Amino acid sequence: MSNETNSGKHVGESLSGFIDGELTQQDAQRVRLHCENCRECGEQLEELRSLRERMGKASLSDLGKDTWRETMDDTTVKATRGIGWFLFAGAILLTVGFIIYDLLTDDHSMSLMQMLIIGGFYGGMLLLFLSVLRQRLIERKSDKYKDVEI
Amino acid sequence: MRQELVQLGGGAHALAIQILGNPDDAADAVHDSLATALERQHMYDARKGPLKPWFLRMVRNRCIDLLRKRKPTDDRVDELPAAGKSPEKAAEDADRDRILKSALESLDSDQRQIIVLRDYMDLSYAQIAEVLDIAPGTVMSRLHRSRVALGKAYREYDE
Repeated sequence: MSNETNSGKHVGESLSGFIDGELTQQDAQRVRLHCENCRECGEQLEELRSLRERMGKASLSDLGKDTWRETMDDTTVKATRGIGWFLFAGAILLTVGFIIYDLLTDDHSMSLMQMLIIGGFYGGMLLLFLSVLRQRLIERKSDKYKDVEI
Repeated sequence: MRQELVQLGGGAHALAIQILGNPDDAADAVHDSLATALERQHMYDARKGPLKPWFLRMVRNRCIDLLRKRKPTDDRVDELPAAGKSPEKAAEDADRDRILKSALESLDSDQRQIIVLRDYMDLSYAQIAEVLDIAPGTVMSRLHRSRVALGKAYREYDE
């Protein structure tokens, strides 16, 4: 067995903690001193450092940021559209309910509820329109074949 | 938050590849996780910690869900994608990545994940414990064993 610490043990997993800066100052000093005197641990330390550096520089994903940005935009479109459809469907249901109610009673005054219903209806329509418009603009910007005439 | 999530996409994809074994399934998992993160962004509390471990844990959980639904197959990594750089540098990097890929493939999924989280995504031990849902005290020993295994495999493939 090669050189070891005073306690007769190699530093083992503390090497990783040392490389990663996760040890206390005292433990880091102990590992540093040990590696200066223990060839085996010194070599392992260098190997682990080198591997860590290689991993840090490795290309483990070929998908760029644009992919994730588009994914997020797509998600936003879906969420906006969902809210739009919810408002739209809710407004339709309330409108139908209101019409039925209005037919059955003699009260024809414009109440706050009516204004909310109309607001929800038009709000839903507007959101749907903006959602579609936004998607079309993004597609137009990123479409490689937009200038190609058919 | 959106910009930060975009930045995390590549690393999350690398992690998902280690769990699911192929880039396409991994991209789907990250896509789903981005959608979930946006839906649940009100649940993220920046005072409790950075976004990175919060999002990566979500990605890992999504991958595990997909693995459960998938029929039992070999979970080895199909292929690590090639780098897109200048020809000479790309060749050198590709060669290095090829050896690293082979070495990584020889490890089990848990070992690959912890190495990617630390050495590729630069997470602290506390953050790794949060993502992997393990005791913080076990991260150093688990990571060290994984690195030693990777080093051994790398030497074998480099010969």
